Amino acid sequence: MVTFTIDNRTIQAPDGSNLLDVARRNGIAIPGLCYHHKLTPTGACRLCLVKVEGMNGLIASCTVKVAEGMVVTAFDPELEETRRFLLNYLLYEHNDSYDGTYSDEMRELIFRYGLDKPENRYLKPNWEKINFKKDDSSPVLTYDPSKCIKCFRCIKACDEVQGKNVLSFTERGINSFIIAGTGIWGGSECDGCGECIQLCPTGAIVEKPNRDIINLERIEKKIITTCPYCGVGCQIELLVQDGRIVRSNGVEGVSPNDGRLCIKGRFGYEFVHSPDRLTKPLIKHNGLFEEVTWDEAFDLIAKKFTEIKNKYGPNALAGYASAKCTNEDNYLFQKFVRTAFGTNNIDYCTRLCHASTVTAMLKAIGDGAGSNPIEDFETTDCLFVIGNNIIETHPITATYVKRGAAKGQKIIVVDPKWTPLVPYATVWLQPKLGTDVALLNGLVNIIIKNGWINRKFIEERVEGGMEAFNRLEKLTATYSSAYASEITGVQASKLEMAARLFATSPTSMIATGMGMSQQVTGTHNVFCLINMMLITGQVGREKCGINPPRGQNNVQGATDVGCSPLNFPGYIPVKDDDNRRRVAEVWGVPYESLSPEPGLTTVEIMQAAYEGRIKGIFIMGENPMISDPNLNHTEEALKRMEFVVVQDIFQTETTRFADVILPASTWAEKEGTYVNSDRRVLRGRKAVECPGEARVDWKIIHELAGRMGKPMPEYRNESEIFDELARVTPILAGISYARLEQGSIQWPCPDKDHPGTQTLYLDRFNTPTGRGKLFPVEYIPQNEKADADYPLILNSGRLLYHYHTATMSRRTKVLRDFIDESFVLIHPGDAKSYGLTHGARVRIESRRGELETIVRISDDVREGEVFMPWHFTESQVNRLTRDELDPYSRIAPFKLSAVRITKI
Amino acid sequence: MISEKRIILRNSGVINPQSIEEYIDAGGYKSLSSAFASTPEKVVEEVMASGLRGRGGAGFPTGIKKQAAADRDTGKISYVVCNADEGEPGTFKDRIIMETNPHLLIEGMIIAGYSISAKLGYIYIRGEYYDSVRRLQHAIHQAYARGYLGNDILGSGFSFDLEIKPGAGSYLCGEELTLLESLEGKRGYPRIKPPFPTEKGFWDKPTLVNNVETLANLPGIIGHGSSWFRSSGTEKTPGTKLFSVCGDVKKPGCYETDAGVILNDLINDLAGGTSNGKPWKAVLLGGAAGTFVPYSFSGLSLCYERLKEQGATLGSGAVIVIGNERKLIPLMQSILMFFRHESCGKCVPCRVGTTYIHERSLEIPAAGNEARISILEEIVNHARQMAKSSLCPLGQSPILPLGTLQIHFTEMIATE
Repeated sequence: MVTFTIDNRTIQAPDGSNLLDVARRNGIAIPGLCYHHKLTPTGACRLCLVKVEGMNGLIASCTVKVAEGMVVTAFDPELEETRRFLLNYLLYEHNDSYDGTYSDEMRELIFRYGLDKPENRYLKPNWEKINFKKDDSSPVLTYDPSKCIKCFRCIKACDEVQGKNVLSFTERGINSFIIAGTGIWGGSECDGCGECIQLCPTGAIVEKPNRDIINLERIEKKIITTCPYCGVGCQIELLVQDGRIVRSNGVEGVSPNDGRLCIKGRFGYEFVHSPDRLTKPLIKHNGLFEEVTWDEAFDLIAKKFTEIKNKYGPNALAGYASAKCTNEDNYLFQKFVRTAFGTNNIDYCTRLCHASTVTAMLKAIGDGAGSNPIEDFETTDCLFVIGNNIIETHPITATYVKRGAAKGQKIIVVDPKWTPLVPYATVWLQPKLGTDVALLNGLVNIIIKNGWINRKFIEERVEGGMEAFNRLEKLTATYSSAYASEITGVQASKLEMAARLFATSPTSMIATGMGMSQQVTGTHNVFCLINMMLITGQVGREKCGINPPRGQNNVQGATDVGCSPLNFPGYIPVKDDDNRRRVAEVWGVPYESLSPEPGLTTVEIMQAAYEGRIKGIFIMGENPMISDPNLNHTEEALKRMEFVVVQDIFQTETTRFADVILPASTWAEKEGTYVNSDRRVLRGRKAVECPGEARVDWKIIHELAGRMGKPMPEYRNESEIFDELARVTPILAGISYARLEQGSIQWPCPDKDHPGTQTLYLDRFNTPTGRGKLFPVEYIPQNEKADADYPLILNSGRLLYHYHTATMSRRTKVLRDFIDESFVLIHPGDAKSYGLTHGARVRIESRRGELETIVRISDDVREGEVFMPWHFTESQVNRLTRDELDPYSRIAPFKLSAVRITKI
Repeated sequence: MISEKRIILRNSGVINPQSIEEYIDAGGYKSLSSAFASTPEKVVEEVMASGLRGRGGAGFPTGIKKQAAADRDTGKISYVVCNADEGEPGTFKDRIIMETNPHLLIEGMIIAGYSISAKLGYIYIRGEYYDSVRRLQHAIHQAYARGYLGNDILGSGFSFDLEIKPGAGSYLCGEELTLLESLEGKRGYPRIKPPFPTEKGFWDKPTLVNNVETLANLPGIIGHGSSWFRSSGTEKTPGTKLFSVCGDVKKPGCYETDAGVILNDLINDLAGGTSNGKPWKAVLLGGAAGTFVPYSFSGLSLCYERLKEQGATLGSGAVIVIGNERKLIPLMQSILMFFRHESCGKCVPCRVGTTYIHERSLEIPAAGNEARISILEEIVNHARQMAKSSLCPLGQSPILPLGTLQIHFTEMIATE
C-alpha cells in the first residue's frame, strides 16, 4: 500500500495501481473516455490529464501508476479548461445526435461541461465533411464512424478481453475509422459476441436487435441473472421494457465472466417472446392436440401415472429432468419421481454428455465436477485441451484460455477435427477417431520413460503408491511412442512434445470434453487422463487438475441435487441407508418408500420402453427425439409407451409423441439457482412473466405431487426450496439465498461459515481413502468400423451459433443469420474419391438410419472422417448414431458412426 | 570562408559503397578491433566521454542512452535499433550515409551492439529509401561473408546479427516508440511514455534506438578516442554535424562541418548563397517540426545549446532557406497540411487539432490584416493546447514552427 494525495485528499492504494482507477474508486470523478478497467491504458482521449508534482507538463492519469508520496492535482482551472478544449475538439469531429437506445458516456461529459448549450461550444462541427460510411453488414451490430471517438476500446475489447483481434483502425488522423478484419464487419471473422458494443462509450457501435423499440428511459427493470445457454454461467443483466426483454449486457466485475459474453448470451434471448411458446396445456385426442385447462391436464396425468404404477409397479415409470431448469425445479422433480413415482428411474441429458467423465472422476478422484476456478484457464502454465472445442462450446472459458495464450501459456490441443483453438496451440495432436486410450497410454509411456513422473506425489496421494504405479507402468510399457503413433496416426515427435509440456510445466490443467466422453470407451478415456494427471502430480495444487466444462447452464446442478438414477442429492448413492433415512425424514416420507435400487439411465430408459418395461414417462424440458442416439429406435420406444408427458416451452420433435403437453417457463420467468462448470452456485432471477397460462416448472411438479397423493410442503418461494435442498445436499449445506445475494459460492460449502471451495483436492481426494486411484486400461479397437459399405467415420459436434437441439437458438434471428443449415465437413481427398463438390446435396446413411445435408469440403477433418453439427432437425444426425453404450457410464458413442455418402 | 570538414562523409564519393574491400582499405572495420580489445563498459565510457549527442533531432546524450540500455537486465536480451526512418521534411543526411557508405553504419551498429551486449540489431529504414535498403542489404551480406556479422565476430566471442526492416510510409514511425510498434509488426501508433525504450523497447526488452548519423559517429570515437572527437564542434555539441541545406540556395546539399557553424557561413560558404543573391527572408531550422528564424539570426551558431537559448532548434540538421521573394503563408499551410496528413489519429488533440488548424490556415489569405493576426493567434493557441495535451511528439510539434512564425513574422503574414 502507498499513501499519496489527490487534490489534498490523502488516499491509500496498492502500490502500482492505476491512478485514474484509484481516483474514481475514491469518488474523484476525473473524466475520461478511452480508459476501461478491463483494458490496458491507451492514453488517447487525454481527458484524464492531471498534474503530478515533479513530472513535466500534464499527464494522462490513466497511464500513471500510483506511488508513495505522489502529489496529484486532478482539478484546477487549467486542467478543466484543457478538458473543455478537448471535448470541444471531440464535438468538432463527432456526430452528437442521440436516440436513447444506448448509454453514452460522451454525452454525460457534454452535459457536465455545459457543452449541450451551443453557445458554449467554440468550434463549428465538421464531421459531416468527413466522408464516413456506416457499416451495417453485421447481423448483430451497426458501426457509425461519425459517432466514433477513436478511443480504441472496441479494438481492445476484441483483442485483450475476448482474444479475437478482429478489429483495427484504417486510414489516418481524423479520417481514421474502425474496420473488422480487412473490411466490413459482415465479411470478417467477427463472431458477434458484442464485447465491442458493451465497451463502446458513445454509441458508435450499437446493437441491431430491438434498436427500433428500445428506449433506455422506458426500461422498467434491469435484472441480473445467469445466462441460459452453456455451463460457464455468465452473469447477464436483462433490460425489460413493456414486459419484454430488449437487451442483455454482461455484468462487469463478477465471476465467472467479468462482463464478457458470447453471441448467445448477448443476443440469444429472443426465443422467450417467440409466438411459438406453449401457453396452454394440451391433451392429445385422436392424434390431435387440444387446449385444455390445467385441472383437466393434472387430473389426466395423475390418473394415468397412478394407473401405470398400480398395474406395472413403480419401475414402469421414469422421469427425464432438465439441465436447463433450476436446481429448485430439478430438486423437486427428483423428489417427485422418488416419492410420487416411487422409483429411481430418473436421469437427464448429462448421461449423453459427461456421464463417463463423471463416472471416471467419481471412481478415481471422488468428485464429478471441475477441480478449478475458471480464472485458472488463463493463469495455468500449460493447458491440455482434449476432445473439447472450447472456443465454440464454452466461448467465455475460451476467452481466459486465449488471454493465457497471449501471455505465453502452453496449449496442447488433442482433437481429430481442427478447432478454432488450434491457431493458439503450441501443439495440435490430430488422432484418428476412437484411438484416445492408445494416445493417452502413449503419453503416459513417454512420461515414465523420460522420468517426468512425480514420485513423491504418487507415494503420498495415490492409492497403492508406487506399487499401483508399477501396474500402470507395466500396462503402458507396450505403448511406445512409435506404437501409439501407429494406432493414432499422430507423429511420435508431437506425442513426445505434448507429454513433455504437460508433465514438466510448473502447473498443468486438463480441459476435457464431449470428444472424450461420448464414446463407448468414454470412461476409459477419462481414466487414462486421470492416470496421466496423477503420475505427474498435476493435481492437488492451484491451477492444476481436470475440468470438464459443462454443456448446459445447469447440467452440473441437476446432478448435484439428485437427478441421477444412482445418487441422491449430493452424490450420495441410493443404496446408502443412513442417507435414505435422513432424506426420508426431511421429506416427511417413510424411509421404506424410497427405493434403494438404482434406476435406469437415459438411454436405458428408452431401451426399456422399447422392450415394454417402461410404460410411462414424465419429460421435463428434454428433447430426446434430437438428442438421443439411434433416433429411429427412440421414436419407436416413445410410441410404445402408454403415457408420455412433456413439459416444455415449445413444441419439439419430442412433443409429437406426448399424450399431454404442459406449458412451462423459460429461465427468464423464474427465480432459482444454477451450478456452473466450476461448481459455482449462481442466482437466476425473474425478469418477465410466463406467457399465457404457462407456469413455473417447480409449481407444476408441486401440484402434480399433491394430485398423486404425495403432497410436498407449501413452499412460499424458491429460497425455501433451496433451504430444504441444502439440508439433504451436504456439498451445498452452507449456501442460502441470503448468502448468494453477496455473490456466487463454489461448492463444496458444508456450512454457513464456509467460504466455498475454489480448487478441489488440495489436501485430499474425495475418495473413501482420501487418495487418488490409478485405473490402467488397455486400448480396445472400436466395434464400429469403416468397411466397404460404410467407408467413412462420422464425428458429430456443436457450433458456436446454435445450441443443442436448437429449440432456443434457432428462434433467435441473429443466430440464424450466422448459420441456419446443416452441413457435413469432408476432406478434399475424400470429396474427390466420392465425386462430391462443395455445396452438393448428399445422402448420408449408417447402419441405423439416414439423412440429407450439404457438403462442405474442408481439411478440418482427417481423410476418412467426416463431421456434422447435430443441431438441425432437418438433418438429424442421431438417426445415424448408435445406442451401444459405455458399460460403466451408459453414455452413447455420438462421436463415432460408420457412414456412406452419396450424391443426390 | 569556411569549408567542409568530412569525417563521416570522408569516404563518400571516394570509395565504391558496394565494395567492402574498398571500405576496409580505407581503414574500415578497424574500430571493431579496438572495441573488442576493450570491454563493453569501457566502450560506453568512451562514448560518454565524447559528449556525442543524438543526431536524430532531440540531441539526447548518446552515452547516457547506452548506459541506460546496458544497465537494465544485464545478461538478458536487449536490442539495438537504428532509426533510419528519415522523414523530417528537408532532411536528407541519413540517406547520404546509407547510400554512399553503408559499411560505416554497420560498423557503428556492431559497436553499439557490443557496448550494450545486444545480439541482434535492426535498421528501420524509410520505405521510400529503396537505394538505402538495397545498398545496406548488400553491405550486410558482405559483412556476414567477411565475418563482421554473425557468430563470434573476429574471434572476439561477440556475436551480432543485423536485419533491415523497411517502413511503410508513415512520418510518425520515425518517433522511436512508434518505430518499435511498427518493427513489431503492429500499426504505427505511439506508445505511452514512460517506459522509455532503454527500459522496455522492442518486445518489451531494453532497446537502444539511435539515429543513423549518431551510429556513424561511433567508429570514429572508438577508433580515435573521445578527445579526438571533441576537437571538432563545440563543447556542448562536440563533433561534426551533417546539415541538409535546401530551399532558395544556389547549391542545396548535405554538408558536413563542425557543429556550431555560423548559420550564414553554412548558407553562403557551403551552399553558395541564396538563389538570387539577396538576404534570405527566413530559415526553417530542423524541418516541419522545427523553428523559423529571421535574418537577424544569421550569425547564430548551429549547436544545441546556443539555439536553445534563442528559442530555436537544430533538430535533424535541416536548414530550409526561404528567399526574400517567397511567401510564408503557403509555406505555413504546407507544413500544417503535412501534420494533418501524418497525424496517426490516436489522441484527440493531435487528430482534431492538426485538421482544425490547417483548415483555419486556409482562411488566412482571404482575411484582412487584422483578421490574419487573430487567426494566427488562434492557431498558435490551439497548437499550444495541443502541445500541452498530446500523447506523442507529433502533436507537440506544430507549436514550434507556428510559435516562431508568430514571434518573428506576424507582421509579414498580415501584409503578405
